Amino acid sequence: MTKKLFARSIVLVVLLASAAAAFAQAGAGAPPASPPANLDAAREACKAAMNADPTFEAYIVKIADEKAQQKRDQDTIDAHNDAYHHIQKNERHVIYAYAGMWVVAAAFVIFLWRRQQALKLEIAQLRRDLEAAAGDAKPAGRS
Amino acid sequence: MKKLAVPLLAVLAAIGLAVSVYLVFYDAPLEYSRNAELQLNGSSLFFNQKIVYFHVGHAFWLFGAVFVSGLSSIAFLKTRNPRWDDIASASTDVAVAFGAVVLFTGSVWAKAAWDVWWKWEPRLTMSLLLWLILVGYVLVRRFAGPSADRIASGMAIFGMVVVPFVYVMVGEGNSHPQAAPGLNPSEGVVGKISPGMRPALWLSVASFLCWYVALLISRVQSTRAERELRELRERGFDLGVLS
Repeated sequence: MTKKLFARSIVLVVLLASAAAAFAQAGAGAPPASPPANLDAAREACKAAMNADPTFEAYIVKIADEKAQQKRDQDTIDAHNDAYHHIQKNERHVIYAYAGMWVVAAAFVIFLWRRQQALKLEIAQLRRDLEAAAGDAKPAGRS
Repeated sequence: MKKLAVPLLAVLAAIGLAVSVYLVFYDAPLEYSRNAELQLNGSSLFFNQKIVYFHVGHAFWLFGAVFVSGLSSIAFLKTRNPRWDDIASASTDVAVAFGAVVLFTGSVWAKAAWDVWWKWEPRLTMSLLLWLILVGYVLVRRFAGPSADRIASGMAIFGMVVVPFVYVMVGEGNSHPQAAPGLNPSEGVVGKISPGMRPALWLSVASFLCWYVALLISRVQSTRAERELRELRERGFDLGVLS
């Protein structure tokens, strides 16, 4: 009986411990606490500490400079990446070049074709006129 | 067979160009190399490399057409056979069209590579000069009167002499892609081009050869028709049909 009671107590303790751990974990995932209301006071304290200790001031300035430099570097990398993708996928100039090439080719072919047609018509017309003139001249020569 | 030549060559050129467009855009690799031997004048030009295939194809046959014109002009001046003059005139007309494409695509390439539409560097300037000589030839033929054929022949020979200067005008300080650091100027980019890019380039060069010959034959026919028309007009004046 005592053994049974002891076993049940152990199970209960384990269950309670698990529940407590789960509760604690859920609390850790909660949003961080809002900044302290006395932020100005914290800033003033930091400023006083920096004024009081030049080493601490240099350290804080160094950290701030590093952060600013990191941001500038990232901006430069982003700009270069943008330019790289722009040039890599720059289809505009290729389209211009191909369009220009086909326009010149089409214009030349149209020019050739129209010239050929005009010449054919003119030659045919002139031949008819010449034959007619030659036909007119023959009977006149006989009479 | 003569009548079939132009359509046959045009169909061959169309098929060749269709296949070369496929190869250019789906098969030929983009050269990203920073290797001095492969880079195009310090930048890889990325997608704009696709212009080079047809730019070079036209440049090849621009030079070819100018040579045909020059040699035919020499033959004309020597024999006075008008058939040679017809070929010279037709070839120059085609060369003007090909030259316009070379200058335009080169200019677009310059904009993509150097962010300027034009640079007064030796090869570009010489190419423009060659094209202006060809345009001059066309204008002389049109407006120079009875001796136009002989003056134009002289210009065609002059144009032919300029071609080697355009080709070798790659040297120190030249910013044309063929003068890229590490390249042998006499080989240029074409000589050192990546093996994966070669099939598309050479197929486009071959296709433009078919296209050039088709245009040349067609233009020669047209030039001969013009000659026939002139002769008919003279007969018309003699018979009093024309006044």
